[in-house]
Parts: sequence; structure tokens; C-alpha cells
Amino acid sequence: MSRESILNAIKKNKPELEILPEIDLEVFHEDIDLIETFISNVNFVGGSTVQLDNLENLDEEIIKRYPNAKHIVSCSNKSQLATISISKETEPHSLESIDLAIIAAQFGIAENGAVWISENDFIVRVLPFITNDLVLILSKKDICLHMHEAYNIISKRDKTFGLFLSGPSKTADIEQCLVIGAQGAVSLTVFLI
Amino acid sequence: MKVGLFIPCYINQLYPKVGIATLELLEKLGVDVDYPIGQTCCGQPLGNSGYEEESKGACKLFIENFKNYDYIVCPSGSCVYHVKKHFDILEQTDDVINVRSNIYELTQFIFQILVKTNVGASFPYKVGIHKSCHGLRGLRLGSCSERMDAPYSIEENLLKEVKGIQLKTLNRVDECCGFGGTFSIFEEAISVKMGKDRIQDHLNSDVEVITGTDQSCLMHLEGLINRNNQPLRVMHIAEILNSTL
Amino acid sequence: MSHAKEAELFNNDEAKVNWHDQALWFVRNKRDKAANTVKGWEALRNLASAIKSNVLSNLDNYLIQFEENAQKNGIHIHWAADAKAHNKIVHDILLKNNAKKVVKSKSMLTEECHLNPYLEARGIEVIDTDLGERIVQLAKEPPSHIVLPAIHKTKEEVDVLFQKHLGTIPSNGDPQYLTNEARKHLRDKFLKADAALTGVNFAVAETGGFVVCTNEGNADMGIHLAKVHIASMGIEKIIPQEKHLGIFLRLLARSATGQPITTYSSHFNKPSLGKEMHIIIVDNGRTEQLGREHFRSSLNCIRCGACMNTCPIYRRSGGHSYKATIPGPIGSILSPGMDLKKHSSLPFASTLCGSCSDVCPVKINIHEQLYQWRQIITKDIKQPTVKATTLKMAGRVLANSKLYGFLGKSARFMLKHLPKFIINSKLNTWGKARDLPKVEHDNFEDWYKKRKS
Repeated sequence: MSRESILNAIKKNKPELEILPEIDLEVFHEDIDLIETFISNVNFVGGSTVQLDNLENLDEEIIKRYPNAKHIVSCSNKSQLATISISKETEPHSLESIDLAIIAAQFGIAENGAVWISENDFIVRVLPFITNDLVLILSKKDICLHMHEAYNIISKRDKTFGLFLSGPSKTADIEQCLVIGAQGAVSLTVFLI
Repeated sequence: MKVGLFIPCYINQLYPKVGIATLELLEKLGVDVDYPIGQTCCGQPLGNSGYEEESKGACKLFIENFKNYDYIVCPSGSCVYHVKKHFDILEQTDDVINVRSNIYELTQFIFQILVKTNVGASFPYKVGIHKSCHGLRGLRLGSCSERMDAPYSIEENLLKEVKGIQLKTLNRVDECCGFGGTFSIFEEAISVKMGKDRIQDHLNSDVEVITGTDQSCLMHLEGLINRNNQPLRVMHIAEILNSTL
Repeated sequence: MSHAKEAELFNNDEAKVNWHDQALWFVRNKRDKAANTVKGWEALRNLASAIKSNVLSNLDNYLIQFEENAQKNGIHIHWAADAKAHNKIVHDILLKNNAKKVVKSKSMLTEECHLNPYLEARGIEVIDTDLGERIVQLAKEPPSHIVLPAIHKTKEEVDVLFQKHLGTIPSNGDPQYLTNEARKHLRDKFLKADAALTGVNFAVAETGGFVVCTNEGNADMGIHLAKVHIASMGIEKIIPQEKHLGIFLRLLARSATGQPITTYSSHFNKPSLGKEMHIIIVDNGRTEQLGREHFRSSLNCIRCGACMNTCPIYRRSGGHSYKATIPGPIGSILSPGMDLKKHSSLPFASTLCGSCSDVCPVKINIHEQLYQWRQIITKDIKQPTVKATTLKMAGRVLANSKLYGFLGKSARFMLKHLPKFIINSKLNTWGKARDLPKVEHDNFEDWYKKRKS
């Protein structure tokens, strides 16, 4: 059937084996300020950052920026602002009305302002996308330099579903005019503790 | 060192002054230059049009004419590129290998082999460089804007030393002019549009004279400039480097 | 119509050509800026290219490894030898799940297989959810660029389109307003969809997982709300290990749009509890391309579109002038492999400037492959008589010094003495918009001979 015919065709047509290259990460190493670079890249991709010394004022600062948020989901015990609680059993469609989701990110990447979040962090897969606004909580010390380090960090995880998320959703499909807020979250704020 | 001068077919017939400037310049620089009579063409127009097979005769004649020189020098980046790259269709005899390794575009030869940047020229005009594609991306005569390499340019190295010259910076520093050989005939509309856009870039950048290493590009641009009566001159880099007050 | 004819028509509207050209040059510029911020950019390209070479030389084993690992995680794997097989598999899965409404995020492969009309003919609603794809879907046009499908549409055109299909109020092409309206419209589609179709940016043999990259979040919105997720991938989308994603994800978005990374890079390893995840592995001519020594590396392509943005011809003729699913430089080396006759004009729609090869993140030597396709096409496809005869004759003349000498002189004589109106007439294509060079004095060879004597 298709499987056999495809694999046979490949066996017949493939070239001599070329070995995988060695990846020398030294070439990519830079001694830069990781936090500064991360912040600048979050801004570049349309997100914003808030630096706090500790968790004390976190909720206050979140409310300041999202005063109109009524339906709030919090996936992190660092914030007590949740008005709706979710679980593995929550019907994804029901999250359509969520104004704000607060998620704790595992770590961030300086070179592109992205964070890694996985299913364990936000419980219901659709949450980071369906919410109107998104808040991420990230420790300043948990920022790495580049994607190679990032993949090293996540290599031992329980692999189900996760993503690198960088900035709010966006599109430039209408005459190359950048519009922030396409299908996913219309805003992203990273709280750096 | 004995240098064989390779003059592209269309320069021979249509722009002999470029060939003359090349020869005079090389002699000025103390090079023993010989022009083998009987040379025709490197075969590029056929190769690029898909008729590589039919160009073999011309390629073999080329090797015959140039096999006995230490270096072969040519005022055309695209022709040199064609010999270096596409003469792999010939049987790789010693002669073929030697010709392919020892052929140089003019500015490349002056900079890399003669190791000279100041050729004693003077040309007090505002000059825009058209960085012809085959020389730039084929022979790597300079860094190109899409690669992340340390910047360098053999043409600029030589032109910078020309007395009185003002080198102008373009908006798009290395976009193709649209000649492309038979492309200029078979995709005429785009070819013309690309040429017009290049010319406008030079005009917008306050250029008086457009120069480059490939007369084919220059011929195409000049054709448009003359048809549209635009205030620009076109000169091959050999002519500028050979200029004295 | 050949590319040349289509391009000529496109160039009738010079203002539009300038607008299109500048829009894409703007994207090329953003790519340059982004690439410039990466220490070791050229090293990344070298690595990406080498990894792909390894993949193509070991493709069958990687696919088997991928299938095994994916199945272990509860993902269903299907194999489709061609477009027809692919479409049937998709339909069968939808039937099994009683899926009538489908949302689809960007997949050039499904475009290649003409999936939408196939499903629509069978009573299934397919909504393309990438905003650019939705625009061309409503306009009943194919995408003109693989990353920016509606780059050929002005905002005013989009405004009119949305007024008609989405009931928006006239807004003079306000992108913010139109995007917001599209958001609401597509939100509704996501919530009602039975199944989500997506492409695959990268499939990882080591883990059996795959990655889907978007800026809008439309792939994820579709996938996480629907019961069934069907992901279509070409056989060449495989990469060996997850850590290799580090290299490819650093290259992809920067090459495509100048962003450091897409907003969402979603990594799928297991389906959600109670939901189905399917991957369809598609050949459709790729194994044949694999066997072509000169063209095999075209399978490295990660569909970034950088070659299109840099190509001076693409920018001035538009994607539709290529009449191929994938246009531009990469399309011109992939398409002839699928239908040599239909796409025989594409490898000639180029000056061989080489810029495409220099921007390609996986170092496909596109311009060299265009040259190689030309050699094949002149042999296998009937060429315009004038072109073929002239060039073949030229070959004979250039191989013969005496003959060349004689004809060279004749040509010069004619150029010098024929009246200008004949030279600049319609028969002479060069002369349509350009003057011919002036012929004066001796040719070089005569001058040299005189000087010597």
C-alpha cells in the first residue's frame, strides 16, 4: 500500500548517507545581559514587561493593567485573582469568555522574548489562545540565552503538549500593516520577578 | 607572468573601448598581456538559455586559445563565472583545469594577484556602482547584502583610490538590473522594469556615472537611459580605472 | 500562459508593480535586520543544510522511527502516495467522526493536493483560518505567496471583500478594524468546528512529535476546540532530533518575516484526553525529486518564503504569474519536477542573480538548479523555433573562429547601417524600450591587430 510504496521509493532514490553535523554551541555564545535582552525582545514582538522585586504587589499590579477583567483564570498560586477555576475536565468551549489568564512560565529565552509553557502549566490546552489577555509570571533568574539552551532545558519533560510563546497574537496580512491581536490573546504582559 | 586577455564577444563587437581600456590598464600596471586572435565566446549565452550541450564547441575553442597562459583576465564577472562554474561539462583535462583555476575578472586580478588598489586613475565624478550579480554572488567579488559576512568589496577598494571620485550609496545596493542574457528578450517586461528601477535608484542617489564589472548589465541600463533621455552616463570600471585627467 | 505573458500583463499597472515590489522588499529588509542580530547566522545555515542532507540520505529510517514513536503516544499515522490518496484519507477520517465543519490553518501541502474543493464537493465546510488565507478564500483566488497569501491585495480590496462576506461597514481598509471583525467571524467558526486540519512545520523522528508555528494562534484555536486534529506533512518535513528544532526555529521566522520567532511554536506529542490526533505522511512526487541528483536538495525547503521576498522577478510579477501552488524561486525548481510541460517557463523566469540561494536558510542552491532545469527543458519540451534555431546556430558559429569573425562583422555592419525605425520596431523585442548600442570604429580585434602591426 502507500506506506510500502513510499518507503521503497525512498530506499531506491535516496543518496549516499551524509552524517549528521556536530553542533558546536560556542559559535553562538554571547555575554549579554539576558534580562535586558529578553525585555527588549518582548517589547519588539508587541508584548510588555513589568519588573517587580517580589510577589507582594503582583496582583495589585495585574489589576492596575487589567482593571476591566471580570473572568479571570489563574494557573499559578502566585496570583489570587482567579474568578473562575479550571480543571482537566473543563470543557474548552466554556473558556470563550475568559478575559484574562495568568500563567506561570517555566523559563524565558533572551534572544526572542519567548517563554516555554506546557500543558501542566495551563491545564486546559486552549487557555493561552482563547483568553483575551494573557499575563505570564516569570522569574528573572529563569532566562536563558538562546533556543539551543531552551531545548536542553525541556529535553527531559513529560512530552504531551507545550509551546514557545512570544508576544501577543498578531498578523500583517492586510497590506503588511502589523495588527496586534489576531486570533489569540490581544495583549501579553510578562511580570518579571 | 604571461596574461591572456579574454574579451567577451559582445565587448569585442559592440564596446571595443572597454577592451581597449582593459588592455591599456593592464599594460600600465606592468603586465605582459597577449590577446589570442581567434577567441570567440565562453558559451555563457547558450548555457544560460539551456543549450549547454550546443556550447561545447565554443568552450573547447576557448580552452585552445587560453591554455598556455599563466593567467586569463577578462573585464566581465559573468563570463569568468561561467568558465569557472560551467566548464565542468568538458572533460577535465589538465588544460581545462588550469584555465578554470587561473581565470580572473579584471578587478579581482588587480586586487588579488597584482595586489594593487591604487592604479593611478583620476575621475572626478559622482559614481554609482552597479554590483553585477554573477561577479558579486558568483565570484564573491564583494559581500552581498543578504549574507551576514564582514563587509568587503573589491570594486570599492579600487575605486576609492581614484582621484576626485565620489562614490554614492544606493538604496538597494545589490539588486539585479534585469539583463539576464536572453531573459532580456524573453521576459522583456520585467527586464525593462528592473532596469528602470535600478536607474531610478542611481538618479535618486545623485549619481552621474553608473559603473560596474559587467558590460552586459551596463548595456541594458544604457539602452534604457538613452531611450528615456536620462541624465546619466554609463562606463565600465575598466574605463574609469584607466582614466587620467 | 507562460510566466512571461502573465508578468507582462501584471506590468501593465506600474503603480501596482511598485507597490507589490516595495511591500516585499520591506519584508526582505526586516529579514536582513533580524539575521544581523544573530551571532553565527551563517553557521546556523550551514548546520541546517547539513542536517537536511543527512535527513534526505536516511529518510526512510527516520520516517519509520517517527511513525513508531508517534504511535506509542497515541497518534494515528497514515501514508498517502499522492494527492488523491491524501484527500481520501482526510475525508474518511472526517466521515468516521461525523465532521461537517472543518477549520484549516495554513498548509501549502493541502493547497498542493487541492483539498478544499475535494471536501467541499462532498458537503464539508472548510474555513481557512489564517487571515491571509481567509482573504484569498473569500476572493476565490489561490494564495500568491506561501507565507503572506494575500500580499497582492490592497487594504481597500480587503475592505470591499469583508463588506460583502462579513458584513463589515466601509472603513477605507482600516487594518485594525478589519482584523477585529475577522477575529469575531473566525472565533465563531472555531467554536463550531468538528475537526481541525493543519500542516506540519517540523516532525521529529526521535520523539514522534511535531511542531506547528503561527503568529495568529489560529492553528491552536482550531486544534484545541475540535474533537479531531488532522495534520498533513510532506515526507521531507522530518528532522532527526528535537534539539535540531533549536536551529530551525532560529532560522524560520527571521527568514520569513524578520521576527525572532513566531508568536506560537506549538509542540504536539500526545493528543488531548478523549480527542484524536492524525498525521498524514504525503509523497506526491517527493520521492521522485529525491532521486534527482541536481534537484534533491530542493526538498530541504522549510517554506519560509525568503526566496520570494528577495527575488526581483517575483516582486515585480506577483505569485499568480507562476501558476503553480508554490511560486517564486523555490516553486520554479519544485514545480517542473511535478509537471515539466506545464511549468517549463518557470526556470526561465529568472536572471540567475543568485540572491535566493543566499537568503535560503537551508542553503538550497536555487539559482544553480534553475540553470540545470533549463538544460533539461530545452531537450524535453519544444522550444519557440526562433529561440532554438538561433541559439543552436550560435553554438556552431561560436565554435568556429572564421565564421564568427565574418558574422560578427556582418552584425556590426547591420547595426550601424539599418535605419533606426527598423531596429526599434516591434519585431525587435530589445528595441521596444531600449536603444541599441552605437557602433563606431573598429571592433576590438581589428584595433588590436592594427596596433600590433
